[in-house]
Amino acid sequence: MKRDPQDLLQTGRDALSGLSCEYAEIRISCGSGTSISLSGDDIDSFSTGESIGGSVRVLKDGAWGFVSFNDFSEIKRFARRAMELALQIAGSEKSSVAPYGPVRRRFSTGAGKNINDISIDEKFQLIRSYNNILKSSPDIQTTRAIYRDTVSQYILLNTEGSEIIYDRSYCGVSLSSIARSGSVIQPFHNSISGYGGYEIVEDREEIAEEVVRTAVDLLKAEAAPGGTCAVIVDPKLAGVFIHEAFGHLSEADFIHENEEMRRVMVLGRQFGPEDLNVYDDGSLAHLPGYTPFDDEGVLPEKTALISRGMLTGRLHSRETAARMNEKPTGNGRAINVMRQPIVRMTNTYIDKGPYSKEDIFSAVDRGIYAIDVIGGQTNLEMFTFTSGFGFEVKNGKRGKMYRDIQLSGNVFQTLKNIKMIGSDLQMFGGLGGCGKGGQSPLPVSFGGPHMLIEQVLIGGKQ
Amino acid sequence: MIDSLIKKLPDTVNWFDILSTEGTSTSISFKNNRLHSLNEKQNSGSGIRINVDNRTGFSYTNDSSNMDGIIERALAMASYGDREGFLLPGPAPAAFEPFDDKISLFDTANEIEKGSSVIAAILARYPRANIDVSMGASQGLTRIVNSSGFNATYRNSFYSLSVSITVIQDDGTKIDVWDSISSLSPRDCDEIPGRLLERIRLAENTRSAESGKIPVILTPRAFSRLLGIVASGLDARSVYRGISPFGGKTGEKLFNEGFTLTDDPTITDSPYSYPFDDEGVPGLRKDLIRSGIIENFVTDLKHAEKLGLIPGGNASRGYASLPSPSFSSIIIGGGTASMESMLRNMGRGLLVEQFIGLGQSNTLTGDFSGNLDLAYLVENGEITGRVKDCMLADNIFSLLGGELVLSSEREQTGSVLSPFAFFPAVNYTR
Repeated sequence: MKRDPQDLLQTGRDALSGLSCEYAEIRISCGSGTSISLSGDDIDSFSTGESIGGSVRVLKDGAWGFVSFNDFSEIKRFARRAMELALQIAGSEKSSVAPYGPVRRRFSTGAGKNINDISIDEKFQLIRSYNNILKSSPDIQTTRAIYRDTVSQYILLNTEGSEIIYDRSYCGVSLSSIARSGSVIQPFHNSISGYGGYEIVEDREEIAEEVVRTAVDLLKAEAAPGGTCAVIVDPKLAGVFIHEAFGHLSEADFIHENEEMRRVMVLGRQFGPEDLNVYDDGSLAHLPGYTPFDDEGVLPEKTALISRGMLTGRLHSRETAARMNEKPTGNGRAINVMRQPIVRMTNTYIDKGPYSKEDIFSAVDRGIYAIDVIGGQTNLEMFTFTSGFGFEVKNGKRGKMYRDIQLSGNVFQTLKNIKMIGSDLQMFGGLGGCGKGGQSPLPVSFGGPHMLIEQVLIGGKQ
Repeated sequence: MIDSLIKKLPDTVNWFDILSTEGTSTSISFKNNRLHSLNEKQNSGSGIRINVDNRTGFSYTNDSSNMDGIIERALAMASYGDREGFLLPGPAPAAFEPFDDKISLFDTANEIEKGSSVIAAILARYPRANIDVSMGASQGLTRIVNSSGFNATYRNSFYSLSVSITVIQDDGTKIDVWDSISSLSPRDCDEIPGRLLERIRLAENTRSAESGKIPVILTPRAFSRLLGIVASGLDARSVYRGISPFGGKTGEKLFNEGFTLTDDPTITDSPYSYPFDDEGVPGLRKDLIRSGIIENFVTDLKHAEKLGLIPGGNASRGYASLPSPSFSSIIIGGGTASMESMLRNMGRGLLVEQFIGLGQSNTLTGDFSGNLDLAYLVENGEITGRVKDCMLADNIFSLLGGELVLSSEREQTGSVLSPFAFFPAVNYTR
């Protein structure tokens, strides 16, 4: 049901006005969504639904009380309850928030084709046409084609006087083909998503074509030999590398109360080569990590995490900013209004460097060209990620194809081992996203140019 | 509300079912050694599945003040659904509830005391450790109503406590350990600090092993992570899609005969049990792999119909999604060897506790590859230190098909009860 945002704002104002505390905020969302999932010749699921939700977060005497709900008739009571919860634990050690704002604005994901104007039949036909491409080779055993959209109105208000209304629409497709030849089974997958209109998912036949082609090619690919070698990573893998291996280290909640991490992450410390520049920027419109404001009402920044190889910044929520006496960066994010904001990335990338892709290839006598990514994980010291496929590189030339390649290493050593950074920066991000603190998936994007990294550990038989 | 919804269904409806859930929860979190926040959550929602002309449509909402439109949306979806001819289960009561009245004894002050004492015990040994502790209690109701006369509700309760510790050594080496418990009602956690401290202590020395084939013991936690790859092949949906390595192999012996994997939603006192699944089918205990032989698959009604399986209560969904096959509690049969003797007999090898990045590879074929987040070198049957910056990469199906020793001791990790597992030769890279 459409609710009047002005009514919700007024309800929020009333609920906040009774609270005597350092800080409080109310977040409310009302939306609808469509999800279609096709698999081979079957309709896996097709659903539409409506979701509402809200939360109140109160900081009182240095302690947080948080209440989430989907019953809007009692927002005032929930606000009082959040205050009571905070009081129950107040008096132990203190949290505080960096002040910000007030921000009184209305945002919209803006132009393009309004998703609500597109019929469900049109959405179905679109994803079916992609699914037909995904299964277009006789070597394909099955497919998975997913379309998803959500259109919602998000309202945030806080005791600093911020009142924000955000009309947002998000959509994307996720496309997989699984090729099979006897006992060899090879999946391949790609996905695209973003904030904006229906045009984000239209005319994406090329993605489906590339997915089916790669899955079939992979049937004949060999496993990469294990050991340590030079690796050329493609822009997508470069992006996942910087997100997983370095980006998470820049999230100040890992640093702010941990003396050892603070020593490791000292601003000014040399982390990589002179050509290495890394940014997180939530203001990049349309990308999945676009945040016109974060879930604490802070406007986005282009934060330079690494400049000329040197550590120059980190990502903050209001709480970590206050604790480290730095400015909030607009990185307090939650997967939905029913969860608390924590420090998260937005759109994170390695900026372009001086070399062409050809320069990079001609610098490699023997190595691996690793392309695309299946997944990645880090424990903030070591990382593992799996490249979708790759090729042997011999004397600067592409050789035979390898299937999924597991790359692993020590984060700091690997950053130092970046030898060449290309000039072909590209951004990526699909349905799904990043997971942290039990909140997954949070839409983010990542990117970079081609890069040459030396001494990367490849998992496998030697 | 549900009853008024049912009255609005048109006569053209062949069958329907409605799943409604509601719940409340309280959670406490300690971050970086200090009490951080106290949270409460209230949530509810309903989803309706409607079959018209043998095609099924679905819609959901969690806005109880406005159920209008949910039936119309589900009907509109139905014209796109696949043909489905299965029958919904008829009336049956909830045989038991995964619920313990003692959940109401969850007391904030008491839990904070618990968390503080865990933190104090760890800081006493590692003053620079960073510790997060969280505990939560939730209770809820699940109700299913369908057109075959099924109309049953059960209560559930869930208590969980988790502790994670990061210690950074003087040389910058990081040691992460964590543990958690879950049960139907609040529990003591006295054993957790000691267990975690021991893992850290053993990791203080760094050792190294040469690349190649090496004997490996997986702890119950590491083994259950790896078995996720096997479990995904036991899902009727992947069998139907032709991507399960076990499809069409029922009755075949694929693994070591000491290996038995059972799905059991009927265990009493388990928060992973339920009287009936999310389509109203009673939960049954079933061996999926018995003595190395593929016996059964977990399925929902849709895939049971397609594959001719007997549904054993493994459909899972929230109110906002359609059912799909899922596991309840997984039980791995134990062996006769003691963990102690396995270590002693291994002589030199690895004891693996935690992986990073496992399961990102093409696991359909059983291949796995993971960095060793926490693993120890065993020499002369004794743990002598930690190995790091290295990976295990092998194939779990061939490992389980070869020589395998399982311990008599078993430990619970989340919903999986598993023994320690010994493999004589696993591929190791550094």
